[in-house]
Amino acid sequence: MAYTFNFRDVFAAKDALLDGLALTLQLTATTIVFGFIIGLGVAATAVYGPRWARRAAHAYVEVIRNTPLIVQLFIVFFGLPSIGIKLDVITVATIGLAINLAAYAAEIIRAGIESIPRSQVEAGVSLGFTRAQIFRHVVLIPALRNVYPSLMSQFILLMLATSVASQIAAPELFYAGSIIQSRTYRDFEVYTVIAIAYLVLTVCLRLLFGAVHRLAFRR
Amino acid sequence: MIRDLSWIDPVYLVFALRWTIGLTVLALLGGAPLGLLVAAIGNTKRPAMRWLAQGYVGIVQGVPLLAWLFLFFFGFPIMGVEVPAWLAASIALSVYASGFLGEIWRGAIKSIPRTQWEASGSIGMSYAEQLRHVIIPQAVRIATPPTVGFVVQLIKNTSLASVIGFVELTREGQMTAAATLAQLPVYLMVGTLYFILCYPITVYSRTLERRLRGVR
Amino acid sequence: MAFVELRSITKKFGDHVVLRDIDLAVEKGEVIAIIGRSGSGKSTLLRCVNGLEGVDAGDVVVDGVRVNDAKADLRALRARIGFVFQGYNLFPHLTVERNITLGPLIVKHVGREEASRLARDALRRVGLADKAHAYADQLSGGQQQRVAIARSLAMSPMLMLFDEITSALDPELVGEVLRVLEAMARDGMTMLLVTHEMNFARRVASRVLFMHDGRIWEQGPATDIFGAPRTDELQNFLGAVLN
Repeated sequence: MAYTFNFRDVFAAKDALLDGLALTLQLTATTIVFGFIIGLGVAATAVYGPRWARRAAHAYVEVIRNTPLIVQLFIVFFGLPSIGIKLDVITVATIGLAINLAAYAAEIIRAGIESIPRSQVEAGVSLGFTRAQIFRHVVLIPALRNVYPSLMSQFILLMLATSVASQIAAPELFYAGSIIQSRTYRDFEVYTVIAIAYLVLTVCLRLLFGAVHRLAFRR
Repeated sequence: MIRDLSWIDPVYLVFALRWTIGLTVLALLGGAPLGLLVAAIGNTKRPAMRWLAQGYVGIVQGVPLLAWLFLFFFGFPIMGVEVPAWLAASIALSVYASGFLGEIWRGAIKSIPRTQWEASGSIGMSYAEQLRHVIIPQAVRIATPPTVGFVVQLIKNTSLASVIGFVELTREGQMTAAATLAQLPVYLMVGTLYFILCYPITVYSRTLERRLRGVR
Repeated sequence: MAFVELRSITKKFGDHVVLRDIDLAVEKGEVIAIIGRSGSGKSTLLRCVNGLEGVDAGDVVVDGVRVNDAKADLRALRARIGFVFQGYNLFPHLTVERNITLGPLIVKHVGREEASRLARDALRRVGLADKAHAYADQLSGGQQQRVAIARSLAMSPMLMLFDEITSALDPELVGEVLRVLEAMARDGMTMLLVTHEMNFARRVASRVLFMHDGRIWEQGPATDIFGAPRTDELQNFLGAVLN
């Protein structure tokens, strides 16, 4: 059975694809911001907090890292209304993705914090810094610099994972693709275009993060 | 017709785990040899070969797993082959695994000191023989903790096979949730089952990592 | 009461007793060199003075403040005690100037202008006025150590502790650091130095402590310690070290 590849129908729907792409970028950006901030807080808690807080932080990280994202999104999607919180699907997706990313970011940042030699901390102690001051001025920047590559990889993984939000009907790029597919029946062509789009996004993000690295940690 | 959630539903969920595990195993069986090939090619002296390996890894890792699943699911019928969901999912996950395993193993091999290559090369071993008898046995120790860690990723990734209709744990959960409208309890149970399956493996991978660091 | 007092200090690491029943009184302006073999407890003793190490028995009192008291405000005290480490421990992500101004800014809450002035003065005292905007990895070991000293000086300390600060340096870089120390001693700073630099100790120290097996085995003026050792252990030590 001969098959004629027909990309024209896919390109005819490029507006829908661009809308989906815009949402993918938005989800990625907001999730990275919130996921990083929450992850930083969880990491600091896991290292400096009282014992009950450290246990809670570890538990949170372990639960998220040992369950699939799609299940987490379903739980957030169905769980929030059941406690009376009604939000639009984009916000729900952002919350689910941020909770997921924060756990991975926390683990990475925690490793960064623990990689700072004790002698650095002792220098701060000897100067009379408080623990908070030591964290902020002595530990934080070097820790982040040490783990920046890992964080960058995790953020790129996150961008790819936003595709899973399609399963709770968030109209990002992958969802846009499946809509086009169901209308045009050009299944393979659609997903080829989608795949290439994500590949291009990956390359762009890597370049972007590389530039940010040079700007932020330039010496 | 909506029914109530009953005690039998968790049992069905647990039984669905065998498809999750089966799919993971298939993905490993397919992905490991391919990943090994990628790792081997990625460490040769010829830059063109290394670029090939890195390009393969870059493409596999740069496309979401959902896209790979759909590409294989819709791609086979185009070539005139009717492929059941489980096979399409296995092949997609194998390719996905080969990209990540290939990268892990390539890195492990790369970390073996050049002196090992020089020593084995100077007694006349070919590249393949060097890999097989000298390099890989040493690289295995370094590669094991992240490989075990990746197995956990793979188990979680099988959840996406539900989207192309393969009935593993997540799909079973979706069907139960749709039938009972008790979505939250069902997905909490599904999450718990994944956790019970994955967490021990995560702990084991960490033990391996600690042992490795201690020995070195 | 002396400026620094150690009363019957005992310290253990696990089962290993590192400091046994140490008594020491240090007056303002004294320059005390602590010598001895590795493992004799010298560094631990020093680290007990500013509370980097706790003690298992006895009291550490600095300027009337009991350091080993759990409720003591160690921060305020530490802001007045300078500690210089063998490994310099400069903050690698900050310039030399930022390394030095950080303490005055965030611990003593001086203004930015005042902090910069303190930094410049400190750098001048250690002879590195032109390196304010360099980073640690651009400096030699001797320069880094002098920056570390400047970092402590900027806090206007009343007491300086030096933990083998030249041991990690290449020999040709040691001199520049010792010259700074000598100048500080002349200016009347109270200093405790754990050191292997015997010539320096002989020249600059007002008192020398020889530590052995966790105790202060002998102490006295440099001339006595180096010229007329009374115990076999000190004689053996000097014999091994001065050759």
